[in-house]
Amino acid sequence: MTKFSPLVEYKATQGQYQLLPFKFEPLDDHDVVITNYVGEFAFISREDLETTLSKKLDPNSKIYSLLRSRHFIKENGDEASIELLGLKTRTKYSNLRNFTNLHIFVVTLRCDHSCQYCQVSRQSENKVAFDMTIDMAEKALAIVFRSPNPAIKIEFQGGEPLLNFDLVKHIVLSAKEINETQNRDLQFVITSTLTLVTDEILLFCKAHKVYLSTSLDGPEDLHNRNRPRPGRDSYERFVEGLERTRGVLGFDAVSALMTTSPASLTRAKDIVDEYLRHGFDGIFFRHLSPYGFAIKTKSYGAYNVDRWLKFYEEGLDYIIELNKQGVRFTEQFAALMLTKMLTSNDPGYVDLMNPSGAGIAAVVFNYDGDIYASDESRMLREMDDTTFKIGNLFTSSYEDVFTNEVLLGALEDSFTLSAPMCSDCAFEPWCGADPVYHHAMHGDVLGRKPESEFCKRIMGVVKLLLERMKSDPQVKTIFMRWANRC
Amino acid sequence: MKLNLNKEIYSLEATQKAAYRFIDRVTILIEPAGEEWLCEIEPVAGHEDKFNDHIADFKRELLDQQLRKQIKEETQDVRNLILAYTFSRTGLQG
Repeated sequence: MTKFSPLVEYKATQGQYQLLPFKFEPLDDHDVVITNYVGEFAFISREDLETTLSKKLDPNSKIYSLLRSRHFIKENGDEASIELLGLKTRTKYSNLRNFTNLHIFVVTLRCDHSCQYCQVSRQSENKVAFDMTIDMAEKALAIVFRSPNPAIKIEFQGGEPLLNFDLVKHIVLSAKEINETQNRDLQFVITSTLTLVTDEILLFCKAHKVYLSTSLDGPEDLHNRNRPRPGRDSYERFVEGLERTRGVLGFDAVSALMTTSPASLTRAKDIVDEYLRHGFDGIFFRHLSPYGFAIKTKSYGAYNVDRWLKFYEEGLDYIIELNKQGVRFTEQFAALMLTKMLTSNDPGYVDLMNPSGAGIAAVVFNYDGDIYASDESRMLREMDDTTFKIGNLFTSSYEDVFTNEVLLGALEDSFTLSAPMCSDCAFEPWCGADPVYHHAMHGDVLGRKPESEFCKRIMGVVKLLLERMKSDPQVKTIFMRWANRC
Repeated sequence: MKLNLNKEIYSLEATQKAAYRFIDRVTILIEPAGEEWLCEIEPVAGHEDKFNDHIADFKRELLDQQLRKQIKEETQDVRNLILAYTFSRTGLQG
């Protein structure tokens, strides 16, 4: 006599299952992707979708097991499914309670470059007009350490922050002094073209563990075309600066970002090869943003989202092929999306958060003392739009800044779970609200999603990633590796 | 063009949601007409060439929206239960 009931005792009876919350989106005429409450997904045929909804799934079928194991359906008594979904939901949103992590200090708008697509920089010697002061920086630090977040990242932006390096040094030293009693996980990053780095600057960065984030747009001709400066030697200076920086700080202390200019669109492979030549292990294919000089110089309008997606697809496929040949190289925007799609972690990327990351994941202290809800918000200010100004270092308290009606209104009005189209979209768990973009392009923080290039871009990238995973198991393995490195 | 939809098959919510997804390509006005919803459909400027394709896609979207509505209604209680579990130890419940 056995101690266990036979297997048949555990099998479901036809039609006894219940649906758990899920959403679906067609991928083509035959298949849909379904996502559950926390963004776990599965590919099923349209026929299986309809059979599932009519409660006619065969309990012995593979599709039944798949849907049950991934919390799309439950049987009577499967209470653990609901508890697990609750736990996963709590995990998914757990970052929110930590509040602001990224604090951006715009220490100067001055820059030695005059890039066509740059949102903000000024070629000026006028330090008084375009530099942050020590007084402002100290007031900003007082706000930084009011954040409840155990991890604080201070990012120096410009212009070219190295043109006001004395202030950068002051902020780093003051923040470290405050942190002696606060014990936060404190990180510093300088966003720089590296054309002005000196050994003195690098030795300070080494002593205080300051990382550098730089810009590389591609091969020499493309980089110099995108990033003009006196002498047209941006690339040469970048290479010198990169070598010097790695020599002092170490190979991994520098990361790079590229921006897709109209001239980049036919050069995806060249750009990736250039990154490989310099030993980078990944690239972030960044589209142009509709702010500042990108609008004034008409760079932004020079290509639409469909053209950018074509560029992105070409670059992504090339990177996938490299990985198949054993080259470890990541497309970092894909890695952010895949982290959300394939793991329970949220990378906390401001553009892909709901509620929006503006203000609650990042805040910007501008060179003139004003406080903005995000990097894009301060770029809008350079187009005379101060909608997302949420305070001023001389007149606003911490409470004034983070309970500002402008901020709270934008967060509430752009919330994707209650937004038309987003609330029904299967990709919503992986997407985000972007109130600043939609305000800039549509005149309101929610925007009309069918007309939104943000929506088209995210949908386009997600469908591409899903399609590549669905058609090739080796790609899924590569993507799993990317997702687990963020 | 005009499209008549049987009210017993297509809810107003599903019809409106389907219409919303197409506002970049076609404008759809929905009016009750007895047992039917009367949809008056016109192409948005620049989308006249593919008008028939958009209509076909809109019909498919109507079915999808009706299925989405079914899932949403059938899982409403369990959705609330998941949220209850999610916040059960936060002290935030009313």
